[in-house]
Amino acid sequence: MNETKKQQHHKKGWGELIKSAVIYIVLAIVVWGITSILSPSGGAEVTKTVAKTFKDVLSIIFAIFILIGLIQVWLTPEQISKVLGKEAGWKGLALSATLPMILGGSLFVIFPLLKTLREKGARTSSVVAFLFAWSAKAPLLPLEIKFLGWHFAVLRIVLIPILAIVGGLISEWLIELPHRQETE
Amino acid sequence: MNISTIYLIVASGFLIISLIKSREKTAKALLHALRVALLVLPVLLFVFVLMGLLQVFVPKEVFTSLLGSGHGVLGIIVGELLGMFALIEPAAVFPFAGFLHTSGATWGSVIGFVMTAILIGIVTLPLELNQFGTRFTVVRNLVTIGLVFVMGLLFSAVAL
Repeated sequence: MNETKKQQHHKKGWGELIKSAVIYIVLAIVVWGITSILSPSGGAEVTKTVAKTFKDVLSIIFAIFILIGLIQVWLTPEQISKVLGKEAGWKGLALSATLPMILGGSLFVIFPLLKTLREKGARTSSVVAFLFAWSAKAPLLPLEIKFLGWHFAVLRIVLIPILAIVGGLISEWLIELPHRQETE
Repeated sequence: MNISTIYLIVASGFLIISLIKSREKTAKALLHALRVALLVLPVLLFVFVLMGLLQVFVPKEVFTSLLGSGHGVLGIIVGELLGMFALIEPAAVFPFAGFLHTSGATWGSVIGFVMTAILIGIVTLPLELNQFGTRFTVVRNLVTIGLVFVMGLLFSAVAL
């Protein structure tokens, strides 16, 4: 069975979730604490940066969490794999190489979203293509044209879906290599 | 209207539709959202602390001086490396890339920087490993570096 299937059956319990949460929080505090001891002013700056970054991403990440929850409950794995799975074939790959171009957000919010799609049956090539296509960042297009010119922006937007498909296929082949060798 | 407002409106819209269709399923959805939050937020805290460290202790001029010296193929690679280590918000990538270009970086190195700044981050690595596992993360990042290098070659070849 492939990796995604296994993950689906092995859902983390609340205890495990809380344990990993505590580990990361402790790690963050330790790193921050050491910095503050070595350089109190640097530590204060770090605190400011952390607070500011959290404030910047909080509302968007909150929205993404809700969307993930809704996807989890309303979309069946069958529906997802029909659009982004193996049976979707070229159409699924083409869709994941173009549609995400209009999305915003940062990697912090895209990773959890993609993980959900993957667990729901999206094939690996679609997940990788989705991520690459997302880098187009169409909502930021006005900024890109302003600072780098429209030649730059157009060339980038044209190349991204093509490379997203190529990258998706290469990655899937490499990631699923061990499974294929097992089944052979 | 900024992007986070749009996201919030879309999410609330779907939440309301979900609530109308089924209260029980909506409660389940919110519970799942809480699980994801519990899984992701602590990792984010850790990542943001790392980000703060680099932002505070590594000045931006270090990045610029490194990139200014790179030319041709080497410039693309240096641009990619900078992007991976640059800890700037996607919205800040383009202004900073414009700044790099006016300070003498080639288009190849500028695209290398832009793409990896968006797609690869040493600080998002822990999150990617945590969500997708080692094999996926290694392959995804290496393939991205390769594809962006191809983009760098094309951007260097085309007169912009």
